[in-house]
Amino acid sequence: MDEKHHLRQFLLFVFALLIPCFGLWTIASGPLGLPAIGLVNIMLSNWFPDVVSALYSQGPEGLLLTEFGELNGRPVSSALSEYQLGFTLDTRILSYSIPFYTALHFATRKKDYLAGYLQGLLLLYVLLVFGLLCLCMKELMVVLGPLFLEQKGVFVPPASVIALLYQLNVLLVPTLAPAAIWAWQSRESPLVISLMGKAA
Amino acid sequence: MVLATLFTLEMLTPVQEHVIVPFTGLLAQLSAAIVLPFDSSVVAYGKILQFGDSGFAVSIEAGCNGVEATIVLVAAVLAFPGTWRSRALAIGLGFLAVQSMNIVRIISLFYLGNWNLDIFSWVHLYLWPVLIMLDVLIVFILYLRWLSTADVEELAVSNG
Repeated sequence: MDEKHHLRQFLLFVFALLIPCFGLWTIASGPLGLPAIGLVNIMLSNWFPDVVSALYSQGPEGLLLTEFGELNGRPVSSALSEYQLGFTLDTRILSYSIPFYTALHFATRKKDYLAGYLQGLLLLYVLLVFGLLCLCMKELMVVLGPLFLEQKGVFVPPASVIALLYQLNVLLVPTLAPAAIWAWQSRESPLVISLMGKAA
Repeated sequence: MVLATLFTLEMLTPVQEHVIVPFTGLLAQLSAAIVLPFDSSVVAYGKILQFGDSGFAVSIEAGCNGVEATIVLVAAVLAFPGTWRSRALAIGLGFLAVQSMNIVRIISLFYLGNWNLDIFSWVHLYLWPVLIMLDVLIVFILYLRWLSTADVEELAVSNG
């Protein structure tokens, strides 16, 4: 099969697979985000014990509860207010990398599908956990400001780093990481060999 | 390295103020110019497109402008061996391809949002970013194909 046919087949399969992959992901996005929420909850509540109460799962969303409440429009210690400040986070803005990767992976002709797929998923999940951590830190920074950024005895990344990591993880990683993992894993596939072999 | 540098540059306030925001405004104006002749119920001002009857509006913001996708394409093209002429051509045509797709995205989202907000959110947040990245991937693959064809032709000329 020549390079043109590999390419056509790949493109056709990608578009055909995107629909069922996104459909399945929409149904499964709640349970899919659960382990990431659990891991980030452990990280945040250990890293910032005076700021973060817990990160709960609410379907595909996470609810980040802080140790602060609100009084006259300002964040104060939760003991001074009647409720805790919390905000929801959409894990799907990070986890849509999974159906994208799935479509790319299974649209490419390979000898072995499953092992590579699981490795790719694992890598994407690590990035998802890191992305969720950055998402939480950005929310804490925006909502709590100095209460979060100026904690005594706790290392908090500078605001500019949090902002950059947030943008990177929301705007680039969910689409770029699946494409990069796919390209790396497909480097010995007939499609990539036919393209790279001649072009390189 | 190119990717990280360009992305960091994009996030700098002066770059946002003088390049990204005006460019995003231009995209909004271009989208409006495409829609207005066909739909008299649409009004456009600044970076906002609005339906006059339902009041539904979209504001085209930084992050909706395809700049990140273009950065990925530029990084991929520069990372791969090629002549500067072929690289410049790939980046120029790729930029046009990404932005054409992005205008389709803006217009489709505008109409989807007027019809159903849930579907709008789903398509806006999850599906279109993937389609834009797929566009980048296809442009890059076509660039590799074009490079390989150019190499073969060059070889044929040099042989005889």
